[in-house]
Amino acid sequence: MAAPQAIATRRPRLAHAMLQSAPLLLSLAMLAASIVVYCAIYLASQHRLPGGFELTSTVNNTMPLAMAAVGQSFVVLTRGIDLSVGGIIDLTNAVAAVAIHDSPASMVGWSLAILAIGALLGLVNGLLVAVGRLQPILVTLATLSIFQGIAIRVLPQPGGAIPDAYGAVLANVDAPISLIYVALLVLGWRVFRRTRLGVSIFAIGNDEPAAAANGIDVRRTKIAAYVLSGTFSAAAGLFLAAAATAGDATTGNSYTLTSIVAIVLGGVSLFGGRGSAVGGIAGAFVTSMIVNILFFSHIDPLYQNFYEGLFLVLAVTAAAGIGHYFRRRA
Amino acid sequence: MSLAESAGAGQPVPAIEGVGISRAFGGVRAVQDASFAALAGEVHALVGENGAGKSTLIKILGGRIRPDAGQVRVRGAAVLLNSPHDAHRLGAWTVFQELTLLPAMTVAENLLLGREPRGRLGLIDRRAMERDGEAMLAGLGIHHIDPLALVQDLPLAERQIVEIVRAITQDPSILFLDEPTSSLMEREVAWLFGQIRRLRAAGTAIVFTSHRWNEIVSIADRITVCRGGTNVGTFTEIGEDEAVTLMTGRRVGSQYPPRPPAPAGETALAVRNLSGEGVHDVSLELRKGEILGIGGLAGHGHRELFFMLFGAQQPTGGEIRLDGKPVRIASPRAAVRTGSGIALVPEDRKTEGLLLAMSVRDNMSLTILSRIASVGVIRQATEQRLCRGIMEMLKVRAAGLASPVGALSGGNQQKVLLGRWLLADCRTLLLYDVTRGVDAATKHEIYELMTRLAGEGRSIMFYSSDAEELAHQAHRVLVLREGRIAAELDGTGLTAEDIVAAAMRDRAA
Amino acid sequence: MTNNVSRRGLLQAGGAGLLAAGFTTFTLPAKAAGKKPYRIALSNSYIGNKWRIEMENLFKAGLLMEPYKSDVKGSWFNSGNDVSKQSQQMSNLIAERVDAIIINAASPTGLNGIIRQATSRGILVVSFDNVVTAPTALKVNTNQYKFGQMGAEWVAEKIGGKGNVIMVTGVAGTFVDADRNKGAEDVWKKHPGITVVNKFTGMWDSATAERNAAAVLPSLPQIDGIWCQGGTDGVLKAFLAAKRPLPPTAGEGENGFRKFMTGYMGQKVQGISIGQPPFLVLISLELARSVLDGSRPKGDVEIPFPFVTTDTVKVGETVFPDLPDSFFADFTDSGDNATVKICVEAALNGTACAGRLNVVLPKA
Repeated sequence: MAAPQAIATRRPRLAHAMLQSAPLLLSLAMLAASIVVYCAIYLASQHRLPGGFELTSTVNNTMPLAMAAVGQSFVVLTRGIDLSVGGIIDLTNAVAAVAIHDSPASMVGWSLAILAIGALLGLVNGLLVAVGRLQPILVTLATLSIFQGIAIRVLPQPGGAIPDAYGAVLANVDAPISLIYVALLVLGWRVFRRTRLGVSIFAIGNDEPAAAANGIDVRRTKIAAYVLSGTFSAAAGLFLAAAATAGDATTGNSYTLTSIVAIVLGGVSLFGGRGSAVGGIAGAFVTSMIVNILFFSHIDPLYQNFYEGLFLVLAVTAAAGIGHYFRRRA
Repeated sequence: MSLAESAGAGQPVPAIEGVGISRAFGGVRAVQDASFAALAGEVHALVGENGAGKSTLIKILGGRIRPDAGQVRVRGAAVLLNSPHDAHRLGAWTVFQELTLLPAMTVAENLLLGREPRGRLGLIDRRAMERDGEAMLAGLGIHHIDPLALVQDLPLAERQIVEIVRAITQDPSILFLDEPTSSLMEREVAWLFGQIRRLRAAGTAIVFTSHRWNEIVSIADRITVCRGGTNVGTFTEIGEDEAVTLMTGRRVGSQYPPRPPAPAGETALAVRNLSGEGVHDVSLELRKGEILGIGGLAGHGHRELFFMLFGAQQPTGGEIRLDGKPVRIASPRAAVRTGSGIALVPEDRKTEGLLLAMSVRDNMSLTILSRIASVGVIRQATEQRLCRGIMEMLKVRAAGLASPVGALSGGNQQKVLLGRWLLADCRTLLLYDVTRGVDAATKHEIYELMTRLAGEGRSIMFYSSDAEELAHQAHRVLVLREGRIAAELDGTGLTAEDIVAAAMRDRAA
Repeated sequence: MTNNVSRRGLLQAGGAGLLAAGFTTFTLPAKAAGKKPYRIALSNSYIGNKWRIEMENLFKAGLLMEPYKSDVKGSWFNSGNDVSKQSQQMSNLIAERVDAIIINAASPTGLNGIIRQATSRGILVVSFDNVVTAPTALKVNTNQYKFGQMGAEWVAEKIGGKGNVIMVTGVAGTFVDADRNKGAEDVWKKHPGITVVNKFTGMWDSATAERNAAAVLPSLPQIDGIWCQGGTDGVLKAFLAAKRPLPPTAGEGENGFRKFMTGYMGQKVQGISIGQPPFLVLISLELARSVLDGSRPKGDVEIPFPFVTTDTVKVGETVFPDLPDSFFADFTDSGDNATVKICVEAALNGTACAGRLNVVLPKA
């Protein structure tokens, strides 16, 4: 028995893929556009194109934010938010500065231990949100303060020293080897999307009761999302320490907000269930590009924040508008 | 007589059984001491008014919510269902009334959720998933749904079909279908019943709810009637009148009230060449005191037309005149305030208009706050009196004006929304499939209300997916096809078949 | 390090022009370094308080005055307290190949990586106020330990070595906060009669200090002395609101605090106002200029804190009744041995004052 023949037009696979990842494509287009503008302005003011140094320093500077944005994506995709990202970066950055010494065993061992600390901090958030049934924004606002407080205890004054060899691996100043990590993140994300957990995170962000009705363990999925966020924030703390060559228990604070900005620029919906961590990485690079563009356009520094804010509003509005246009056309 | 009493020795062990089930939500007893059993290889219909506890009972048996008291038995063994997952493991699958598809995911992803095909390294194989999704749909004779489309882009009927396909491709030994036909057209219903018969023959126990009596008698082997949260009897043979009497505890006369004479009065709403997304060159007139029916297959521009008239969607061309004056309706807020006031009661109450966490009173008085306030402060006595009056007139069944709307049954939520617009004194009412998923008694009340409101000189434009309803209620029926008016039918002597025929004329060819 | 040493030698020989050519580890094209005007950039972090605004105004004014007007081509950038942004801006400055970067850092350590890259490319880095730990950067600062010590000693003497004091601290996790506290605490240890009855943060902000003081005051006994790192006028206002007498107070250089010292809101407070001077930026500018032109060897600079007491404070010179309380009245040094003397317009508007700007660096 056949169901009624409604409109039986099929869209080709590519059209589907384009349409369904429109926000991601938009953020990549935004990144491409900002790189072009940067190069043009750079050329105009320096009479040459940016080279290896510019690429390397931009990548090294952006890596911590890219990591934090990936972490934030997991949580936001479940329709939560993780404000403790900055606190976790503070704490892991502080531990890195205090603990990592100049031996391969110390570097590898402590790196893993610090990632585990990040996971543990994320677990605290996850348990409070999923089991305690508390609002993510309240939980992570509280743990943000707690983690910041512990970070100051661990490293009361900025200092410590990160071995040069460690910096050479995570934030090499001679070559943009951090691009390898970007590639690994993109690859890892594609793999993650094809795991049970990946599907579950998207599902509960889409519609939590519906996901539960489909047999998805909402509690475990949420906890996993916060643990992943904590782990990636810890990675951000490590990259930050490596780039700075020392630790500071307060430098992570700004990442709470910038990680959210990055994922919004990257097309991740704050209402959950839609978006990609790859977009978040692109968003992180876009924010660095904005800093560069404003720098080389030599605007009055007092208006810099104004322009940054203006750009954000325009970017998000444009993305929403273009996305809407394509959805209507489709 | 309940099954629990009749299940003596020699009776087969039910596939699934609930004994003495109770469940309350915030003081409202949704299910109270209800018992119910379904046998393998039978289609068991669960009937009752909205709020009789059918959906709650199904949710409990499907593992979605836990009972406060009582026992669930599967094939004779007592089980504890903590999640739908537990039920799935026992072979019990549910098509819930409020669909549980994930909107931003594709049809294939939804169909294969939790059973994704794995490729290398145990990762999900997306190509295989698309292939399997397509095969699942095709295997059940469905070719018009694109497995790569996002669920949020599908019309309601197609979503319903995807939800059904997902459940029946799990090879369930127990299948619950809660209002599966409410958004389906006749042919889709026939498809569904074909599937149900196939599963029944394979020994599946099927529990099914519907408000369409003819569907129930055509497919059900047994019927259990619920009232007030409990089961009042299980039958193999029962007439509609008798069932309705049991459901309501009183006898209901003819389902449709007598239609008032067609008014010859002045035009309230005139639409000229209205076009926009999904709507093409629509012209119509709605007179004062008239009930204008809008019919046709789902997804042919009805929703868009209603939304445009309510200002929730903007037309790209054409003209709307209210009481002879051209108007531009920029937003729903403007619609309610324009001239005689245009109000929309949509079918999806949960997302379109009601604030579920707020009280009946707050929801009703939302648009008239400025009118009943002095110096910005709401006069509570006035608010109370007005809302109480409307609540009684509409027979809203709620614990009180202060109870949250989210705790009411669907039909009663519908009435609260209608009450809001009546309080705002809207003279032109757009009713969009308001009786979908509403029980017979409440439907009857809504029909009476429409007749009465039209008698008061209000104009009603009324879309229904149930052609029978249009044929009996409307003075005139316009049939939309692909966003255009395909036919105008006079109400007198009109039958459901005429409407369906007009809607399908091209497609039959 | 050998590179640094050899470079230092070159600089001291006045051969800054050879610098880029002599340093080849990195492959930026050779530049015409060392030629006047020197390109000197100010990379500031946070700009959200009066102190930073005054500081930046002084920098702008300095650039408009000789000798800087002809010797220096200046630019300035703010990054907020975002280390990665400041780091990104500094790498852009490296790309622009400026001659020197003057930084007020968002983190004492967070920029060490990029500073190392700058100095290894022959760019002079001078940090001031919130100084960095990078060994290759020159530091210009006051001695924060002495800030704490001076104020505490003054309070101890005023109250005769015994009584209750409160400590209003700054932003936790910074060197400045820790050093100032340590300086004070070492003084308290020498006076067993002094009890610190409460220690709370004022975040170097008058509004925060006032709010926090108002919150703790009801639970405190009589207070004989106040030691405050910043937001001093806010603390005194909280005392007034609680109807408490104003005890001898050691505080920062806020105009509002100095108004209290000359009589304000019907009260006159005995006090010592020690300022972290915004003109540190001018000291840094002068240091950068003189190192670049070879007239001074590379080396850190520490300047004494400018301070006034109730006895020495002067209307129109070190306190300004017509300016807001939050203005930092220590934008200029005073007295015969002043390091910097500059007019109030420079601090307020970033406009040039009449005449040459004479910045006297302590002996190298």
